[in-house]
Amino acid sequence: MRDPYLQVSGLTKSYGSVQALGGVSLDVEKGEFVTFLGPSGSGKTTTLMIIAGFENATSGSVRVGGRALSNTPPHARNIGIVFQNYALFPHKTALQNIMFPLDMRGVPVREAERKARAMLDLVGLSGYGDRWPKDMSGGQQQRIALARALVFEPSLLLLDEPLGALDKNLREQMQIEIKRIQKSLGVTTIFVTHDQSEAMTMSDRIAVFEKGRIDQIGTPQEVYRTPSTPFVARFIGDSNLLPGTVLDPDQGLVRTEHLGLMRLPNRLAAAAGAPVTLMLRPESIHLAGPAAGVAEDAPNRADVSVHTVVPYGDSTLLIGRAGGADLRIRLRGPEADGIGSGAALSVLWPASAIHAIPAHANPMVQP
Amino acid sequence: MKLLPKLLGVLVALFIAAPLFIVVPMSFSTAPSLEFPPPGYWLGYYAAYFTDERWTQPTINSLIIAFGTTVLTMLLVTPATFAVVRHRFVGRGLANLMLTMPMAMPHIVLAIGYYSYLGDLRLTQTHLGVIIAHTALSVPVAFLILSANLKGFDRNLERAAMSLGATPLRTFRHVTLPVLRPGFAISALFAFIQSFDETVVAIFISGRESETLPRKMFESIRMQADPVISVVSTLLFAAVALVILAPVVWKAVSRRRSRPDARGGEPVAKEPVPNPCAPTRVQLEA
Repeated sequence: MRDPYLQVSGLTKSYGSVQALGGVSLDVEKGEFVTFLGPSGSGKTTTLMIIAGFENATSGSVRVGGRALSNTPPHARNIGIVFQNYALFPHKTALQNIMFPLDMRGVPVREAERKARAMLDLVGLSGYGDRWPKDMSGGQQQRIALARALVFEPSLLLLDEPLGALDKNLREQMQIEIKRIQKSLGVTTIFVTHDQSEAMTMSDRIAVFEKGRIDQIGTPQEVYRTPSTPFVARFIGDSNLLPGTVLDPDQGLVRTEHLGLMRLPNRLAAAAGAPVTLMLRPESIHLAGPAAGVAEDAPNRADVSVHTVVPYGDSTLLIGRAGGADLRIRLRGPEADGIGSGAALSVLWPASAIHAIPAHANPMVQP
Repeated sequence: MKLLPKLLGVLVALFIAAPLFIVVPMSFSTAPSLEFPPPGYWLGYYAAYFTDERWTQPTINSLIIAFGTTVLTMLLVTPATFAVVRHRFVGRGLANLMLTMPMAMPHIVLAIGYYSYLGDLRLTQTHLGVIIAHTALSVPVAFLILSANLKGFDRNLERAAMSLGATPLRTFRHVTLPVLRPGFAISALFAFIQSFDETVVAIFISGRESETLPRKMFESIRMQADPVISVVSTLLFAAVALVILAPVVWKAVSRRRSRPDARGGEPVAKEPVPNPCAPTRVQLEA
């Protein structure tokens, strides 16, 4: 089998007695866009800095194209990086910034300028070559930084929270822009963010970091629908996490603490009596019609007394008590019309909406 | 009220500038000794200053010593600042303290110390001796200015340069040094001024051969109140004013020269002229 393009294996990093990374491994294919998603301090930026060569791992290795990088200094790694604060050279114009990596590689000035101007075109800033960084907006500086990191055809592009400093509209625009440029050049990209919506919209795959480890690596669909740990379920999207015990693994029956019996779409790998956490996304819960006639002790239903109504415009979030715990329900558009605080609802959800997260989930097991 | 603060500002400025209104006219005075108001005006004492070797030699000595002090100070302070600001090592706090200590010591105490120590080394009454003593006094100022600049330096700039293929040496030359250039310039300028102004240590250490301008001024006012002193004072003031005003003038001129860009139709931004005083003020307040 062919080796993956970027191979990170068993990275650990300790600062004195504090362990920042506890064994990070992942493979990235050529041309792939992988996002490191996690809260601050989860080790995503540390991993990025080790790949870039600015930090040394305590143990573990990084290979790009089959070549180990541990003894290669940052300047010889041929990795493009875009920093959150852009890090444009303030004493150089936009064009000079983009020409810098070519200059360092001994590319003749004429050719360097031609390539740099082509990059300016690509990022949509053709007329801005003579601008100074301080005279450009955040979004423009971001594009220049991106052009500078790509002009020398790096083997890897690393983006360290590049959109963090931009306002919301510009951020969405830049998400699309970065994705377009990345696709057109086919450059293998690692994108670090703590913003789950950014991760969902841009990535081929997402690696969710927690406390110096990767909890789960998968496509946005996978991490959203089948999170492998409660942390992933909570961090990505909105969720109801329901603790319970396995009743009948073959029938896929679970007794939850608060919502009674649950029927899962498939059989469970755990033994009867084993603890399990079920995840139920708020948007997969529906109102039971008045004529539904579902028995009160039937699985996959609940009676809710709403105490909070949060309108979002395109949908409405209802939070209510059910069986002694809060249940979050998201109803689309007009479905929630007329439901106010204090309303008593009968809700149900399909078995396919329930995902079982094994208790004590091994973070490294992929679904 | 907007008027009151303005009035206060004018009063303070007048108070600070007051000596100039006395010194500058006196430098054009015909009086044989320092006298105000001057009985008449001529340029005789200016001629005397530029032709009398008893004044030109100390001026040259002062320039040589200040220049030597600046070079030696920057050679010491640059690596010291990078080490103390960027690295954690045993004795870092002590190094920090030692680098700023001479600032807290009375000059007279230092002068007595240098007098006996440099005497043992047979360096009193030499240019080198004064340069060494002045360097010790210039190091704290230069270190404080440079370290404040270095602390504010975004290390991602260096990381970016390295990721873009610059070796550590080229990173320093193409990124660190140019970005920190105003900091280096201010640091060196203050080292120079510190040495050029210094009187107490110079009186103790500099001898006939290496007599500095402040020492000469001090002696001449003690002996005969020579009006040439007011000439020197006026010239020193003019020199300082020139150094401070030059960047402002430069900025104004280069702004006038900028023309709309032919390609984008936007004005061409000129290279930002760093105001050498800005970071210094911040840092001295801090």
